[in-house]
Amino acid sequence: MPDQVQDLLLDESTYVPPVRKADWLMRIGVSIVALVIFLAIFGPHIGPYDPTRTTIRIAVPPPGLTEIPGLLMGWIGGTLDYSPHWMGTDANGYDIFSRVIAAPRTDLKIALLANLLSLITGVFFGLVAGYWRNWGTELLIRVSDVLQSFPVFIMAMVLVALAGRSATNIIIALAFVYTPIYLRLTRAEVLGQTSRGFVEAARAMGNSELSIALRHVLPNSLTPALIQSSVTIGFAILLTAGLSFVGAGVRPPTPEWGLMISTGANQIVLGEWWPSVFPGLAISLTVFGFAVLGNALERRYERG
Amino acid sequence: MNGVDPLLRVRDLKVGYEVPGDLIVPVAGVSFDLNPHEVVGLVGDAGSGKSTTALALMGLARPPGKILGGSVEFGGRDLLTLPDAEIRAIRGRDIGIIVQNPRAALNPMLRVGRQIGFAYRAHNDATEAAARAHAIEMLRLVGINDPERRVEAYAHELSGGMAQRALIAMALSSTPKLLIADEPTSGLDVTIQAQFLDEMWQTVQKTGSAMLLVTQELGVIANFCDRVLVLHKGRIVEDAPVRQFFAEPQHPYSQEVLRFYHERASGYPEQVTGGAGFLRTDALTKHFPLRNSDKVVQAVDKVTISVAKGEAVGLVGESGSGKTTVGRCLMRLEHPTAGAVILDGQDITALDAAQMRKMRSRMQIVFQDPFDSVNPRWTIADILDEPLRVHEGGDKAARRERAVAALKQVDLDPSLMIAKPRDLGASTLQRINIARALICNPDFVVLDEPTSVLAPRARNSLIALLARLQKELGISYLFISHDLTTVRYLCQRVAVMYLGQIVEEGSVEQVFTAPQHPYSRALLSAHLMPDPTNRRVDNPVPAALEGEIPSPIDVPKGCYLASRCPHVTDACRANPQVLTDLGQGRAVRCERVVSGEISLQTEAHV
Amino acid sequence: MLLRYITRRMLIGVVQLFCLVIAVFFLIRLLPADPVSRLVGLNSSPEGYEQAARQLGLDRPLFEQLSIYLGLSPDIAPGLLQGSLGVSWATGSTVGSEIANFLPVTLQLITLAFILAFIISIPVGMLGALNPGKAVDKGVFVYSLFAGSQPEFWWGLLFVYVFYFQLGVAPAPLGQLSPMTFPPESVTGFMLIDTLIAGEPAKFLEALHHLMMPVITLAFILSGPIIKMVRQNMLRALQSDFVLYANLIGLPRKRVARYALRAAMGPSMTLIGILYGFMLSGAVLVESVFSLGGIGQYAIRSVLAFDYPAIQGVVLVITAISLVVYLLLDLIHAAIDPRIAY
Repeated sequence: MPDQVQDLLLDESTYVPPVRKADWLMRIGVSIVALVIFLAIFGPHIGPYDPTRTTIRIAVPPPGLTEIPGLLMGWIGGTLDYSPHWMGTDANGYDIFSRVIAAPRTDLKIALLANLLSLITGVFFGLVAGYWRNWGTELLIRVSDVLQSFPVFIMAMVLVALAGRSATNIIIALAFVYTPIYLRLTRAEVLGQTSRGFVEAARAMGNSELSIALRHVLPNSLTPALIQSSVTIGFAILLTAGLSFVGAGVRPPTPEWGLMISTGANQIVLGEWWPSVFPGLAISLTVFGFAVLGNALERRYERG
Repeated sequence: MNGVDPLLRVRDLKVGYEVPGDLIVPVAGVSFDLNPHEVVGLVGDAGSGKSTTALALMGLARPPGKILGGSVEFGGRDLLTLPDAEIRAIRGRDIGIIVQNPRAALNPMLRVGRQIGFAYRAHNDATEAAARAHAIEMLRLVGINDPERRVEAYAHELSGGMAQRALIAMALSSTPKLLIADEPTSGLDVTIQAQFLDEMWQTVQKTGSAMLLVTQELGVIANFCDRVLVLHKGRIVEDAPVRQFFAEPQHPYSQEVLRFYHERASGYPEQVTGGAGFLRTDALTKHFPLRNSDKVVQAVDKVTISVAKGEAVGLVGESGSGKTTVGRCLMRLEHPTAGAVILDGQDITALDAAQMRKMRSRMQIVFQDPFDSVNPRWTIADILDEPLRVHEGGDKAARRERAVAALKQVDLDPSLMIAKPRDLGASTLQRINIARALICNPDFVVLDEPTSVLAPRARNSLIALLARLQKELGISYLFISHDLTTVRYLCQRVAVMYLGQIVEEGSVEQVFTAPQHPYSRALLSAHLMPDPTNRRVDNPVPAALEGEIPSPIDVPKGCYLASRCPHVTDACRANPQVLTDLGQGRAVRCERVVSGEISLQTEAHV
Repeated sequence: MLLRYITRRMLIGVVQLFCLVIAVFFLIRLLPADPVSRLVGLNSSPEGYEQAARQLGLDRPLFEQLSIYLGLSPDIAPGLLQGSLGVSWATGSTVGSEIANFLPVTLQLITLAFILAFIISIPVGMLGALNPGKAVDKGVFVYSLFAGSQPEFWWGLLFVYVFYFQLGVAPAPLGQLSPMTFPPESVTGFMLIDTLIAGEPAKFLEALHHLMMPVITLAFILSGPIIKMVRQNMLRALQSDFVLYANLIGLPRKRVARYALRAAMGPSMTLIGILYGFMLSGAVLVESVFSLGGIGQYAIRSVLAFDYPAIQGVVLVITAISLVVYLLLDLIHAAIDPRIAY
């Protein structure tokens, strides 16, 4: 065989899998998400106070910066009368720090389950609607369109308020909101994939349609939905917090960031900023972390 | 060229781009001169940096690339050091350029006329109205008929050929001293390509500009260029007058490139005896319905072909000929509107889904785009395993062994089993596709333009592989292609298609040495032979076909070629033409040829 | 051709709206909430309960309620076909008039927020796209991710704390005007316009002053996705073949920039529509913080009071507006990009 052609083949004959590195932005996202997950598991137990019980110290501000080192020493040494309220207490006497780190369990549980539910439903129907084109699937898409034109926040409010303020209902309400998104995303991807050559090649090979849908099309169509998941989970947390803020979310005294901001809102005009600011900071960083992670995943697995 | 100052002087041009932790330099120090009135070819493999070099001459690099160094002297000034406004004045006015994908180069949101107008007004003082009039004139000049209407068209409404002409209109708006043409005809039909290159060459001669023609095709170089530059591994490794380059290439890489052209087999593949009609179609017809309309696209019209056992039959034609649709109907990837497909006596169009699935192990297809044909997430092992799993099942280890054997059969190393498609090159992947097609020992393989996306050098080795496999395994091929060279080396018989019909068929030797149908003749004469001693521009062939292919939605009443044929009469326009048997396996669809009214001679071109 | 497209879209929109109305109608009635108890209290007598149920029309069979709502039984009560959205169970006024009071407030808020968001986002997004990979671009990109993931109600509160409580430059978050100020006659419902019509520039400025923080809050949130989109579309346009070619043939810089900008605008239209629709209901959180009295707050009130006609009315109106906005933006998109065929 001529040398040049041999060159073409030689370069590829010894195969070394390529290496992928994570960049700094992705590391930040991963760290934040990891922290939130950690808190979701251990949060309610590691705080100095029970997040669902009030203390007698009402509306206590957090310690000033100069006081902190002294308090830390005392706390470690065990010389204090009571555990410091690192983030202060609210008007009812709840220790804000304990509640802030306990809240991820509520928010994350709701967000993860809502996302999982809508992901499975949306991907399933998206695959069906994209692969088999007939009047049934057309109807499916129209229904999904109608669902998607519901005003998001109001519909979530309606569902939760009228069905009862429980975590389960919030999950169902969120799933309603997000399923059409996953359906549309998956369907678009499936439509693109079914026109690819390898689907035809699989057909020419004698695969059954179901086999092609499950073995070839589905795995290649999942990527956008999975990448979107990270962002969706973040937004689900935001939505849950928003719903709780207006009173259509979880019930007190469940520790939940939005609820905490809402109870603290009345105090802001009095200058008591800490009951609202800390939980809000937590939401801000958490959702940001999920958004960053989602973007990092998108950049890494983007079709080149 | 002696005594004349070079028009363009390139010295040590370097272009590169950064990847994390490294700097890749595809253009690593390119130096050459261009003289006025010269047509120079720049040849090299895909990815060798030809286009990058062409762009860099104008001081541009496609992001993320950057020009790293060197000089480009033009009119006494180094273009790479000029301030932005000054070099913009030179681009388009003194140096014109046309690029590879014309429709992508046009702004999709503006009408074509306006864009040509902008290009004109960028370098000339003119009002909008004057610019529009100029645009219409330029379009007429470059051979677009009905320019008043076309000037209002959007890019996506033009065909590839028309869009390329619009680009030329823009490039020549201001009679540049140098015209750079970057693979201007890739993707265009053979007949259009020849037309186009002829026109470009004539325009260049008339205006006295120089031309840098960037291409992979040696046929283009041989027929149109005065001098050849060879780009390899980022540098110019050879710079020679065209005849010398073809006769005595100096650099090892050039020798390699020309090797296959020098090694041309003199004979034609031996005809196959016996086993006739192993696979045949019977008046195969395929119409595609149009949305929101009663009309149909007539893709294939009563096509009857037959392939003997162990024979390779070529199906040639340009875009719109219907050849790909025939292949797809044979594989039942499309359901024929009418007619039958018969394999070894069985009509496969009449089988139900389950029976068809079993039948599929006997007939396979290799597609044009090797990357698109495989699941990008699977490893090569998975890809080769699939047909075995579907048709034979059985023990995984045994299947794996067969996969390894299949790889070896196509001259690939078994270590590729764990590779993923994106890590491999196009020709390797195409070999894998062939291995996959053969792994279940089919009787028959449809090859749909399997070499079109490969570099010219890789094409030849793939054809050699296919020929060898056919001899070893005794399988039949239907070889669909627009590249006549590949058909010539692989196939025993050939059928020429135009607008859904077969217009001529016969043995490859018969059809290629003495084509009878006007379309076959045009097709063959448009084929560019890499022989600089017999340049097309030195011995111009009379314009064989004018205009473009009619629409398959509104097929003409009489002969389909009537609008373009130089021998057309009123009878041709009125009477539908019939494929007539001329004996000895030969058939032609042209009354005037059959009756002997016209007798066409052509020199052996392939 | 164009007319046919618009008519077809509007017909589909009407059908969608209709399906939605029916869906919401049934959905809220199928949920376990009990609006009658809400109205009469938990300790009412059975007779009082029944009477209240009759008053609300809830004693009738479901489909009869629906037909009344749709306006198919005008002798009992006016319905949609007669242009009536029903009567609010909580207040007794017609839902239509209430929405007419509250909706303009929200529209005013989000329109101003969008305008401000654009003014900030387009230049910033372009800045990022024109310097890809550099520090500026990274900064722009991280900012867009950050802004788009923020809880707007919290930021509203933060702004209240900083600008009102600490710095004193912003007014108290107590509504569109200070509680002491007598509002102008309501002509259009849009406070800013009405103050001008009434010839009271001082009140105009006051209204503007009160809108300042809510608008900034919303614009901040909106700037996230808009910058992300502008940057991405601009980048894609700048790297496209035809922009490269425009440079190759020597078009002046300004012309090439316009080419790129136009290409970037087209795909942006869809996102803007989605954002606007989302904001219509999403602005409720900011409205609450600043007590603006917009449709969001009306929605909250209605939901918590189980006020079915009000809920249905709000959903219908908001969805209708969203659909109109989508249609308008799709038309603009088609005007910009001729590849979009009808």
